[in-house]
Amino acid sequence: MKKSEIRLYINRFLLILGLSIAAVWLVSELGILLQQDENTARAPMMVEFVIPAGTAAKVEAGEAAPSIPDDLTFVLGDVLVVRNDDAVAHTFGPLLVPPGTSASMPLNEADHFSFACSFTPSRFIGLNVKSPTTVTTRFLGIAFAAPPTAVMIYVYSLIVFPFKPQAESGAVPSKSGS
Amino acid sequence: MKNLRTLLIVGGGLMVSVAALFLALQLLEGDKSFRGSMIEPSPPAVDFQLSQADGTPLKLSEQKGRVVLIFFGYANCPDVCPTTMAEYKRIHSQLGDEASQVDFVFITVDPNRDTPEAIGEFVHAFDPSFIGLTGSMEELLPVWQGYWVGRQEPAHEASALDYEVNHVAYIYVVDKEGRLRLFFPYGQTAEDMTHDIRVLLAE
Repeated sequence: MKKSEIRLYINRFLLILGLSIAAVWLVSELGILLQQDENTARAPMMVEFVIPAGTAAKVEAGEAAPSIPDDLTFVLGDVLVVRNDDAVAHTFGPLLVPPGTSASMPLNEADHFSFACSFTPSRFIGLNVKSPTTVTTRFLGIAFAAPPTAVMIYVYSLIVFPFKPQAESGAVPSKSGS
Repeated sequence: MKNLRTLLIVGGGLMVSVAALFLALQLLEGDKSFRGSMIEPSPPAVDFQLSQADGTPLKLSEQKGRVVLIFFGYANCPDVCPTTMAEYKRIHSQLGDEASQVDFVFITVDPNRDTPEAIGEFVHAFDPSFIGLTGSMEELLPVWQGYWVGRQEPAHEASALDYEVNHVAYIYVVDKEGRLRLFFPYGQTAEDMTHDIRVLLAE
């Protein structure tokens, strides 16, 4: 195989690699846009909830409890803090919070957890702990997905649009169909 | 040019030294943040005195200077209690010699069936140093209340032996000063709990 032929193969691969990176990046951005409401594209932080005074009495009387959704999404490394201003102890997810105290716990495992909760209407609460979507994770995602995508398309392109065999005169091979 | 080279060498050396110092400090300091659920401000742990398997009493306030782990359960429990005792055993093993500074306490929520002998047999099956505590309903009620122990026993005949008791599944951690510092929710790994206990022992 001549140098000019090798260059053709390399050029096609580089072109496909560039297009694959662009396509994977586009899909990645779309995915992030679709899950933006879960707000995992941020660094870990402290997430605090407050149980107001009188909550247990309100729940006992069938009145509205603090408006906390039944399913909460966190980023891996977030610290869940619950302050209990009520006169009785409450359970909130993995936390047992004595009256007049705050309980805090780092969320170090990415998973979906279901816990008892002493004041939500269902008496249960779901904690969805996800790995944060940072610039690094996005870059790694593209770095891991783009090369195999490019290789796959490249092989496909060689089968569907093969280079014509080079003429004996030494002319540069031309692409089929062109 | 020579000055610039000297400056670069000195500057580079300084940066490497600062980075090495920072790394060394981090390694020396270790990870002192808790992995369990931390309570602030830490309330004093409610004192109690209950009977051990051999009939001798154990008073919590006399355990100052030691870290005390407390779990509420019962010997006939089919799942959570034996699992938690197995975690106790793993923590005990991971602590090694430091385990001698920790009390592994199991308090019954089923005094009807958990006689001192029965609870002793249950906890000692995991480790002879584990402490099983029981008492009368009058002795236990204030302890359960003091530790917010939710407990539901189904209606049954007084002589019945085949029933299950619903109960909380936290491990309560009392520090060397007698303050309630941490809770470990059910499912927390033994490695995390051992880490936190070591932090408390080092205080």
